[in-house]
Amino acid sequence: MSINWVSFSILLILFAVVAFVGFAATRWRRAEDMLHLNEWGLGGRGFGSFVTWFLLGGDVYTAYTFIAVPALVFGTGAAGFFTLSYTIMVYPIAFIFLPRLWSIARVHGYVTPADFVRGRYGSRGLALAVAFTGILAVMPYIALQLVGIQAVLTVMGVGGSSSNAFVKDLPLIIAFLVLAAYTMVSGLRAPALIAFIKDTLIYVMIIVAIIYIPMRVGGWHHIFGVADTHLKATNPKTGKPNGSLILEPAGEWAFATTALGSALALFMYPHNITGTFAARRRNVIRRNIAALPAYSVVLGLIALLGYVALATPGVPGQVKAHDANAQLALPFMFRDLFPSWFAGIAFSAIVIGALVPAAIMSIAAANLFCRNVWKEYIRPNASDREQTRVAQTTSLLVKLGALCFVLFVNTTYAIQLQLLGGIWIVQTFPAIVAGLYTRWFNRWALLIGWAVAMVWGTIEAYRLPSPGKPGTHFGASADTLPVIGHTVYIGLTGLVMNLIIAVLLTLLFRALKAPEGTDETQPAQFVADPEPGAPPPIPVIAGVGHETGLADSG
Amino acid sequence: MAHSGPTPRRTGAWVLITVLVLISILGTLIVPIYARSSPYIGAFPFFYWYQLLWVPFVAILMAICYLISTHGSRRGSGQVPPVRDGSGEVR
Repeated sequence: MSINWVSFSILLILFAVVAFVGFAATRWRRAEDMLHLNEWGLGGRGFGSFVTWFLLGGDVYTAYTFIAVPALVFGTGAAGFFTLSYTIMVYPIAFIFLPRLWSIARVHGYVTPADFVRGRYGSRGLALAVAFTGILAVMPYIALQLVGIQAVLTVMGVGGSSSNAFVKDLPLIIAFLVLAAYTMVSGLRAPALIAFIKDTLIYVMIIVAIIYIPMRVGGWHHIFGVADTHLKATNPKTGKPNGSLILEPAGEWAFATTALGSALALFMYPHNITGTFAARRRNVIRRNIAALPAYSVVLGLIALLGYVALATPGVPGQVKAHDANAQLALPFMFRDLFPSWFAGIAFSAIVIGALVPAAIMSIAAANLFCRNVWKEYIRPNASDREQTRVAQTTSLLVKLGALCFVLFVNTTYAIQLQLLGGIWIVQTFPAIVAGLYTRWFNRWALLIGWAVAMVWGTIEAYRLPSPGKPGTHFGASADTLPVIGHTVYIGLTGLVMNLIIAVLLTLLFRALKAPEGTDETQPAQFVADPEPGAPPPIPVIAGVGHETGLADSG
Repeated sequence: MAHSGPTPRRTGAWVLITVLVLISILGTLIVPIYARSSPYIGAFPFFYWYQLLWVPFVAILMAICYLISTHGSRRGSGQVPPVRDGSGEVR
């Protein structure tokens, strides 16, 4: 495949602009000491509605939206639209609990979800579990971003055609290194500033794509017609139809439970919690939730482009020729239908749209490691400066972990990477969200419920092969439940299991009068709204102090 | 347990918000409502336009919830700073 130099030059120019902005971001809202974790990791906790909207949108809409979702629709049809249902449900759910999480974090100066769990339950063990889950779950999600970048580079003919593995992945590695470098230098300021460029490019791309391409292809009647015919055709590998244009009754449970599970999981991800904590005031969160569905519209339209790709002459054939990699469908369509300069802009939008969230995710995972593993277990007296250094190094290691997921988890649909992350991260929901409302749960009960669900969910996901590829692993994320006989998202089954265990064991531990652990929070702090001018981390110590409260939790 | 002394007005506001939030979630969670092809709008089967239409609908419901929450709370939580310049009181 030959390189289209017009598209490629535009990608290079825009990439250079983004890299420049990334490095320059360190001067934006300049801090006295960039080496304080509040500065590097939370951008000084001073982002207003406008920046928060871009930042949270940048977190939520990633290569998942631009590559993985249309690929799933291209391959399976209506089943891929669970993603739209998920992004509709996620904001009402977040509306309820997110402001409470923001308030308690602001009062106590928490940087990560695990900080909250440690303060609320006085349990280092449970906090470590939450931190571990966050770091683990973010890796496949970053891997999905890398897969998205790879798809664009393959279609552009950059590197992808070489048989040498190193040359093949060289452009990806270069993009990756630039990302790592500006993340280390600028922290959260970099993705927050780049998010403006990213979203502008994406909105331009999607508006043009959704108006121009369907007309070029022959209108929506034609598109739905072709898609219907294709989806009804039998897949020789599975012996079943490829999919369906309207969801079959048999797929309804998987659709609904995967959507709900993903929605419950989304704001448990450390990077989304980081984006939330960076907001200046409490009402910024709720105001944003009313505005964030604008991104869901984009997701719905991009999902529909999966059908448009099916109806674009030449695209299904090219996808088939590339190992049936459905992730290439949308980039191929852009390359074939757009003038090359605009294809360049669209490709840049996808690449930058993957790099921004990858940066935010790695920063969030680094915060978790630094605060809840390094400072907690390894160097309790670490200075702010040292903490930031550790976080910077970890952000790099997390990205390397993501690279391992790209190499070793080889699935037909990249979306499985995100669903795998969801299976894990949603298991922190009971400890975090229940903890925002009640201290009824026993910390050990929560920890055991978490552990059982994590192990079970991982084994289940490992067992499931990609459709039509027996012997592969992590290929699907929903399985038939024996009792009710429906296909259910493993993450949600695990969550129910987790909750049942936590409730039963809490009752048991209460009967045994097991120690409760200390709670440094007070009810009023969950609705507090401190002035933005006040220095954020004011440790409010309720009852027993920060340090002494840990003694009994081991 | 979390709210210290909620006023009746505040409780009422939160009941309303809960109902609106539940509607927002159930609208696409109950899949049999929309897993059908007719009625069509143009070429679009019901399954697609129903979900797409639900997005702005939820945005409106969330905006209403936001207004209720800022209006209903009395203790400065989730509220715009009430006094701007000290010359007069807001509310």
